[in-house]
Amino acid sequence: MKTSTADIITALKTKEVYLQFPQIGRGRYPIRKIEPSKCKVGCPIDTDVKAYLGLISVGKFEKALEVVKRDNPFPGICGRVCVHPCETECRRNEVDQALAICALKRFLADYELNKGRIKNEPIKSSRREKIAVIGSGPAGLTAAHDLVRLGYRVTVFEELPVAGGMLYTGIPEYRLPREIIKTEIDAIRELGVKIELNTRIRDLNKLQRQGYGAIFIAVGAHKGLKLRIPGEDEFEGFLDCITFLRAVNLTGKAKIGKKVVVIGGGNAAIDSARTALRLGSNVHIVYRRSRREMPANAWEVEEAEREGVKMHYLASPVQIIGEDGKVVGMKCIRNRLGPPDSSGRRRPVSIKGSEFQIEADTIIPAISQEPDLSWLPKVHGLKISKWNSFLVDQETLATNLPGIFAGGDCVTGPRTVIEAIAAGHLAARSIDRYLQGKPLRDEAKPRERVEFEIPTQPKGKKERAQMRKLSLQKRRSFKEVELGIAKKRAVEESTRCLRCGLCFECAECTPNCDKRLVALTIPGEASGLLLRVPVDYAQFPLSNEPLQGELSWAKGEGYPVIVEPVIAKVRDDLCRGCGDCVEICDYSAPQLYEQENGVKISIIDQALCKGCGVCATICPSSAITMGHYSDGRINRFVEQSLTKKGIVCFVCNWVYNLIEDVEEVAGLRVIRVICSGRISPALILRAFENGAEGVIGIGCPQGECHYISGNETAEQNFQRAKSILRTLGISAERVKFERLSSDEPERFDEIISSFAEAIKKAR
Amino acid sequence: MEIKTEIQNIVKRTKAYNCVECGKCSSVCPISLLNGVCLPRVTVRKALFETTDVLLRDELLWSCLNCGLCFERCDFDVRFPEFIRDLRIVAHKMGQGGVLSHNGALQSIMRMMASAELRQNRLGWLSRGLETAEKGEYLYFVGCLPYFDTFFAYLDLDLLNIAKSTVKILNYLGITPVLMPDERCCGHDLYWTGDLESFKILAQLNWEAIKATGAKRVITSCPECYYMLKQEYPKYVGKMEVEVIHISQLLSENLPELKFRKPKAEGRKPRKVTFQDPCRLGRFAGVYEEPREVIAAVEGNKLYEMGKNRREAICCGTSGWMTCGTWSKQIQVARLEEARRTGAGLLITSCPKCMIHFKCAQADRDRAKRAKIEIQDLATFVAENLMERR
Repeated sequence: MKTSTADIITALKTKEVYLQFPQIGRGRYPIRKIEPSKCKVGCPIDTDVKAYLGLISVGKFEKALEVVKRDNPFPGICGRVCVHPCETECRRNEVDQALAICALKRFLADYELNKGRIKNEPIKSSRREKIAVIGSGPAGLTAAHDLVRLGYRVTVFEELPVAGGMLYTGIPEYRLPREIIKTEIDAIRELGVKIELNTRIRDLNKLQRQGYGAIFIAVGAHKGLKLRIPGEDEFEGFLDCITFLRAVNLTGKAKIGKKVVVIGGGNAAIDSARTALRLGSNVHIVYRRSRREMPANAWEVEEAEREGVKMHYLASPVQIIGEDGKVVGMKCIRNRLGPPDSSGRRRPVSIKGSEFQIEADTIIPAISQEPDLSWLPKVHGLKISKWNSFLVDQETLATNLPGIFAGGDCVTGPRTVIEAIAAGHLAARSIDRYLQGKPLRDEAKPRERVEFEIPTQPKGKKERAQMRKLSLQKRRSFKEVELGIAKKRAVEESTRCLRCGLCFECAECTPNCDKRLVALTIPGEASGLLLRVPVDYAQFPLSNEPLQGELSWAKGEGYPVIVEPVIAKVRDDLCRGCGDCVEICDYSAPQLYEQENGVKISIIDQALCKGCGVCATICPSSAITMGHYSDGRINRFVEQSLTKKGIVCFVCNWVYNLIEDVEEVAGLRVIRVICSGRISPALILRAFENGAEGVIGIGCPQGECHYISGNETAEQNFQRAKSILRTLGISAERVKFERLSSDEPERFDEIISSFAEAIKKAR
Repeated sequence: MEIKTEIQNIVKRTKAYNCVECGKCSSVCPISLLNGVCLPRVTVRKALFETTDVLLRDELLWSCLNCGLCFERCDFDVRFPEFIRDLRIVAHKMGQGGVLSHNGALQSIMRMMASAELRQNRLGWLSRGLETAEKGEYLYFVGCLPYFDTFFAYLDLDLLNIAKSTVKILNYLGITPVLMPDERCCGHDLYWTGDLESFKILAQLNWEAIKATGAKRVITSCPECYYMLKQEYPKYVGKMEVEVIHISQLLSENLPELKFRKPKAEGRKPRKVTFQDPCRLGRFAGVYEEPREVIAAVEGNKLYEMGKNRREAICCGTSGWMTCGTWSKQIQVARLEEARRTGAGLLITSCPKCMIHFKCAQADRDRAKRAKIEIQDLATFVAENLMERR
């Protein structure tokens, strides 16, 4: 039966496809379309979790932190207080427990602090427009951070004497030390963001008149909701959790008594309770549902209980009781759980006659918050929802007034830090588009990456790293409770990652990755399909040589395919035993072995080889050949492409992933190799021998090579080819090595057209 | 022509039919001695009795070094190197070939030079103090040194010093040589690895260029260029009204005029030297004594011969940038060890390729000790030892 690569791809997308090797065994391997890793999908800001975990696993902590900071200006803060939806999504949950992603992020931030943080270089403003951000919480600061990096001049206005918004006034110090907030805000300041403290904005028109081209409102939700029960606000000793936490966080103290009752089950309630505990009070929490329905982080609830907070689940306040103008207690009623409400949680139903009373001198309601809009003038023209939040276009954060955007808690009501950061990013993007005169909505469809794999079965259970914690005796202070994890443990933990998701998500092909690429080709067809397979003999037949396989996606049908491992192979009669490959390989895959006659030859450990092809470009005797990406095959592509004169463009697999759609440019032939380090001087020369007008190689940016230093070899190989071509009278302009970052795939066209221009001039 | 007939012609032309299968050739073939496949005799046998496919698709066809030792040893005048060369030309047409070293980069360079439109920058190395001309009686055919120097920069050879030294020597002798900016590869490697067509173009382009300079004597520092220009070019470009000489011959002609530095007077110890005969200069062109005379003339230096010298000299291990693997390496290391055993501290050769191949073998860390000996080209050795003209 015959088929084509295109047919296979269609089948893979729609059907169950199996790969078999009839000649070697009865195993049947299912091929699946790879889904993006769940941790990344689960994160509101699409953090490249897999990438930084991979980098931690090989001890590249600085680089890992760089990856985190690409999406998140608050690694130290999120490493402590993020609700980490990534961990909820983690596929490791199916095996044992989720990766301790949050703890690993914190580890990176701690690592930088311990080593001594290097100050950020200020970013030169390249744009005229000024932008005002109202509110210095995570949403506002993230937007400011992004916009200043885009070259805008940004001022953040904050009415309090400290920056950070809820991070500072809402989250207690034992969870998030002030030093961490300060450091990460300083880092944003260093970039050039101005933060005006003690400045309450009262008039948006005035800001616009002052020349602010765009305004981002990110004032948060700092107004506690009412209980709506008798006695509320009548007695001394009744204070809202926001007021309470703000007082403690700003001044270190608050007016509370010895018997504190907190009402609510969210994080603000737990924070209030644990804070009151630290001020020396006995604390009770009253929550209307059971522990399972509590919106607060489970681990926070657990710590609160351990510290001695008394919980009253399934109880609702009915009345505040006061004497002589002071709170003396609270009357409650017990509940049972009824059918689920609109939030999906079971609704509490009060049990008649179950009233009881709790003695209290202080009552702190923490039942939810809404934005405080008292700063706005009476007439402002902004649309406001019935929950007192700003009404915006969810996709752009634009308000009904042009140039004014709003995001974070002041739009959504109280939510998480990471969601606020996501809103900040979105606001920055919209403001940039607005100021550039582009339509706010980006109509370009996000591209779907299509990759295939034979799934790996995780090997064995491994215990999740636990954070060291402050002993209970020391918890009567505001000292940080969670103490981070040690370097060794962090590295160990990172290796628990199953590396699900697309291959290109990793920042680097780490030595301990247990996946590898094989090429699937139909006999007689030149281009193939790359497939990720487990590097485990028990899970997939690994071989140095191409194997005859059979694909099937319907009963009784089998299509012959060649399965070729994308790895380096050494022909031993050609190996001179020089050891150049041993020296250049970043994965220690080649090793020299002495044969019986005393002659040394190199043998490549296929479990370690990543298939980048760097060794093949420097092997003096051409003893090393690459599976699938052989010189012969690449040269055939070059020859085919040069039937007309044109530019040969070698790209690494990762750049190829960025530009797949824009391949058809006149006179340009894009040829994919795995790593730019695969482009040997010989391939470049051969292209010119075949009549190329120019040869350009495009790899990943410096320090971001997926094969550690493959793009450095590429640079050297191009340099070497260039100097030879110069002697041959081919000017340096016609040979170029470029780098394309995944942040700006659109620069590809620019690179090619300027290269084509340079060639024209050189002629 | 049918392949079968072509092969029959080759057998006739190279007298392969003379072979009596005595096996003496195989007993000296450096490759046969290592890989155990009796190469020369067996290939002849295949040509005579096997199908063309068996003969031409045989990888062993490309592992021959063309060093000429077998021909030297053969009592029946079988012209084995030419036999292999011509078979390769046939095989090349069928798309066969050896494994090209450095992934074929050098072959690309050579073939690119076969383009008439090429405008090279090959004389960038000429420095002040080196006198050259555009027209004149003497022409220095530099060869591929400007390319090798760049390509093998990682071996730290300073190969262009050979060219500079040659010009320096010529100037010393009162000669202002012509250097051609459009000189091309002599075509040796393409010719000997089967690419006859590209070779022919190179030969024609070079001959036109040489003619245009009006030169009467062509001097080379590379034995391959020497051999090709002198013996092979006339077969393809017709009679050449020029004399082709190797720098060692010119030096030997002019020995009385050369004044060498005196090591003793300079407080240096004289050097113990040994000499590697390049195959093309020795067995292919019969130039054995001239380099030795020149070395011996350098004051105080003593030449220590290796056991296998002159006609019996062992090749530097590879030829034509092809199939240069473990056998080549072993030949090189053995030859370097032999050089060391003479007690000499300096190995002189007069071929840039011998130098590249030996240095490459030495570059590997493990072997370095056993094969450690300084290597120098004859021209640079002479230029270094010439006394400054007053």
